[in-house]
Amino acid sequence: MTVSETDYERTVAHSDPILQMRDTTVSFDMERGESRVLDNVDMDIERNEVLGVVGESGSGKSMFASALLDAVVDPGYLRGDITYNPGDGESVDVLEMSKRERKQYRWEEVSMVFQGAMSSFNPVRDIETHFVETLEAHDYDVREGMQRAKQILSDLYLDAERVLDSYPHELSGGMKQRALIALSLVLEPEVLVMDEPTAALDLLMQRSIISLLENLKERYDLTIVFITHDLPLVADIADRVGVLYAFEFVELGPTEEILEDAAHPYTRMLLKSTPNLESSIENMRPVEGSAPDPVNVPEGCSFHPRCPLADEECIDVDPGPYDAGEGRFVHCHHWEHSAEEIPMEDASETAGLADEGVESRSTKPTPDHEGEEPVLSMQDVEVHFEKDTGFMDFFGDPPAVKAVDGIDLDIYENDVVVLVGESGCGKTTLGKTAVGLQRPTGGSVEYRGDDIWKVRDGDGDGSVSWGHIRRSLQIVHQDPGSALNPHRRNSKILEAPLKRWHDELDGNDRRQRVMSMLEHVGMTPPEDYYERYPHQLSGGEQQRVALIRAMLMNPEVILADEPVSALDVSLRVEMMDLLIELQEMFDTSYLFISHDLANARYIAERTGGRIGVLYLGELVEIGPPEQVINNPQHPYTQALRWATPELDPAEERAEESPIREIDVPDPTNPPSGCRYHTRCPEAREVCTEQTPESYSADTDAPSHRGTCFRMVDDHEYWHSESIVDESKDSFDSAADTGTAPSDD
Amino acid sequence: MVNIDWRLRRLGQTAFTAWAVITLSFVIVRMMPGNPMGAMIQQLERRGMDPVRARQLVELRLSIDPTKPIPAAYVDYMVNMVQGNLGQSVYYQESVVDIIAQSLPWTLFVLSWATFISFFIGISVGALMAYWEGGKLDVGLTSWAILMGSIPFYVLAIMLLIFMSYRWGFFPTGGKRPTGIEPGLTWPFISGVIHHAALPILSMIVASGVASLGMRGNAIRVLGEDYLRVARLRGLSDVTISTQYVARNAILPMYTTLLIGIGEMFGGSIVLEQVFQYRGVGWYMLSATYQRDYPLMMGGFVVITLAVVIALLIADLTYGYLDPRARGQESESY
Ligand code: SF4
Ligand code: SF4
Repeated sequence: MTVSETDYERTVAHSDPILQMRDTTVSFDMERGESRVLDNVDMDIERNEVLGVVGESGSGKSMFASALLDAVVDPGYLRGDITYNPGDGESVDVLEMSKRERKQYRWEEVSMVFQGAMSSFNPVRDIETHFVETLEAHDYDVREGMQRAKQILSDLYLDAERVLDSYPHELSGGMKQRALIALSLVLEPEVLVMDEPTAALDLLMQRSIISLLENLKERYDLTIVFITHDLPLVADIADRVGVLYAFEFVELGPTEEILEDAAHPYTRMLLKSTPNLESSIENMRPVEGSAPDPVNVPEGCSFHPRCPLADEECIDVDPGPYDAGEGRFVHCHHWEHSAEEIPMEDASETAGLADEGVESRSTKPTPDHEGEEPVLSMQDVEVHFEKDTGFMDFFGDPPAVKAVDGIDLDIYENDVVVLVGESGCGKTTLGKTAVGLQRPTGGSVEYRGDDIWKVRDGDGDGSVSWGHIRRSLQIVHQDPGSALNPHRRNSKILEAPLKRWHDELDGNDRRQRVMSMLEHVGMTPPEDYYERYPHQLSGGEQQRVALIRAMLMNPEVILADEPVSALDVSLRVEMMDLLIELQEMFDTSYLFISHDLANARYIAERTGGRIGVLYLGELVEIGPPEQVINNPQHPYTQALRWATPELDPAEERAEESPIREIDVPDPTNPPSGCRYHTRCPEAREVCTEQTPESYSADTDAPSHRGTCFRMVDDHEYWHSESIVDESKDSFDSAADTGTAPSDD
Repeated sequence: MVNIDWRLRRLGQTAFTAWAVITLSFVIVRMMPGNPMGAMIQQLERRGMDPVRARQLVELRLSIDPTKPIPAAYVDYMVNMVQGNLGQSVYYQESVVDIIAQSLPWTLFVLSWATFISFFIGISVGALMAYWEGGKLDVGLTSWAILMGSIPFYVLAIMLLIFMSYRWGFFPTGGKRPTGIEPGLTWPFISGVIHHAALPILSMIVASGVASLGMRGNAIRVLGEDYLRVARLRGLSDVTISTQYVARNAILPMYTTLLIGIGEMFGGSIVLEQVFQYRGVGWYMLSATYQRDYPLMMGGFVVITLAVVIALLIADLTYGYLDPRARGQESESY
């Protein structure tokens, strides 16, 4: 990179950086050559800002985080200049500190929250010990420190005493992540570096944590570096955003500017590839190609192999930072033209970008299935798991987890239903029950009118066989790697279903068929992939193989359990497009499971499907995507809607949270009445006593239904007392709990 | 509350196993074809004893009355067992309980030292190996451990005996206590005892190279854990990190192995004590087999099996103190 320091300093002369990084490189020696996982990076982190760092996996974002604490793990080699300016007192060279200084610098000045909160605590020690030992190691007053720890924990809406007494495994993921944040703040650091702190959490928890972070930042006077792959997520809290690509920053600027008018082609394409709730589906487009290998980063502009604007200059000259004004820096020779070449709206007539996917990326209205025969019909399905107990535990009823509790759902031909909800809401269990992988403890699952478990037990009328049902209902797992037999080549994996179900095909036909499928899903040349083993494929490719395998069975319904969540953001749209295309080609129905409302919307809108929202084992709302997204009836759907980050900077950031409690209640003991009443901002007395039924929404879509009293005009709900404690300084301090129905 | 349920259950399982073991010994003695009881009666009769007398004697020895129907005999046998009456040795003309009570401490002495020392060595060496992963020490010790793990321990024991005792005379060739010295808490006696026990202990230790391998694997796994990285960043001292973070987590999976190991060593001691002519329970049991001394054989079998079962019970019950995750699994919260 050809940045000269003076360029930088001229424009940020007025600034007051707390951390400055110059020419910082992290490299690993590998057999194939030197692998640079952070490449000559310059960055100023301003005092008391929230800097969002966005990058896909393998962009060097975690290395950036580690470098800030001089905590690059061996055998990585970190060089360059990193300066810490404490504000009062002298600037320190982070890479030249003595052992004692470094110990003090880490955690007392700059602390860090990792992605793996699940494993950031020692499993054999309780949470309190973690706090105490940290305070002791830094010679802090333990009593005073624990006082502070409790305060921070309760600022994070945790029951401090209970959490401190717990062992890590006793806390949910969201609780652990918050406890970890508290632990990182217990020594009152100036800077908090967060590396994908919310990636493993549900959206609602992510968003809740982010809104809590804002309060924390004010209260404890923090500078926050928030590293993530999810651009919309940081958009919410970051003052500035830096975009990493191929181990260097390609663009840096104020959040608003980046979102509204990104100058680097990669940023623009990344924005377009990110599913969200606002921008129209027609405009979403994957970033073609893949991220470069750290050993072999392309010469010149590292983005040129994927960039539609690339020309000779890009291949020859590494683009230095161009000052794009308003504190924006862009590493692109043609940044001034990127906006016209890659417009955020409507791309169809744009040269250079018009790919064949354009016309197919259209939305479909959700048809009315009234009167149709469903392929799969679930009636009042219940799945209750008894907690595992031994033969001595016959005293008393063991607690049962009601994973699925009385759900009706019909899936028609060529239908798509996307189930969304937080983890533990029963969406995966319901999905498995639908395709016959989980036996329900109550209710029935019918395949074209035959109860599949009766068929299984030999009580059917003989019109369909269990084998036929098994073949018709297929599953594609979240983690394709574990679903494919690692000891078999793709050829074997893919030909097995053909052998079994299409015995009229001979070996050559099968091969042809598999090859054409591989080619169709973009695994070219197919001969090359045909003989590979699963571990020789990337995650996306494994997912494709798993998908083809399912499709070759000629199924009628496919359960796809979070099929894209393991993929990078820029690849998700592509994979979803492929899923949708295959659906049309093979004439199947899908049951999707997703924790992400934006992905759910993308799939449901493009296929004319429905979105179903699950909460604690119940289906609380279902309907066409436009309705569920834009006119949500159930307060829980509204909360999920709130939790889905927006790309629109004009949207008021960090509106008040619409939930009263961050954590999901214990599923072994779900709340009485409406199960959502403990978190619902609209809850009233009657909600704790009566269980709402499924009501038809007052919209034009007949398939839109929900389970909230507020959907019924003359329900006694409207005369019931509110149970929301407005005086409580709670998470929803501003939630409006007006007494009159809003539509009165 | 949940904890109690869980412990009760383990206790129940152990009681069940103990009952099964004792019943099995009854079945072997009483009902196997060519059964020991019949054999004993014949033996006595052949020596010219009057059949009625022979039967009484057998009853006394085995605690099983051969004239009673099986269910009643079984009840008697169980009652005797529970009262600690394991019958009388034919060969030594002594009560089995006494013989075992005399010999068991010697076996336990060897076993506990062997276990303790080999785990101590195993853990420290394992941790070092993990720390210098891929270094010379690591490669050397790994091959050593694999080699030792693949040689049957009694072969090793015999080799040790040949070289250390017969060739070089470092250690006595057999026995468990020095001859000609009055037993007591005197240095000559104690050192003599240690001297006699040294070879059996040594051969058990050498054979247990596997322990350090296991530790190494575990420690490497722990070294890669996120919590370790966070602990370093938090500035915890090396001592805290190596004891509370690395060692404690690396030992966890070994703990049960340790107590299962004791069981295996018990089994091994039968052969080992024979090799070293070390008169512990194992030695008595094996020689009882040669002597067709069924009461002693059965007694040894019951006692050794029970010891293993109890070791496992202790392992299970105490594991929760080391690993909070195992504490009352049912209470795992949301
Ligand atoms: S420098 Fe060239 S290749 Fe790189 S992003 Fe800009 S236009 Fe594309
Ligand atoms: S029924 Fe009551 S508690 Fe349940 S969602 Fe509706 S308003 Fe909220």
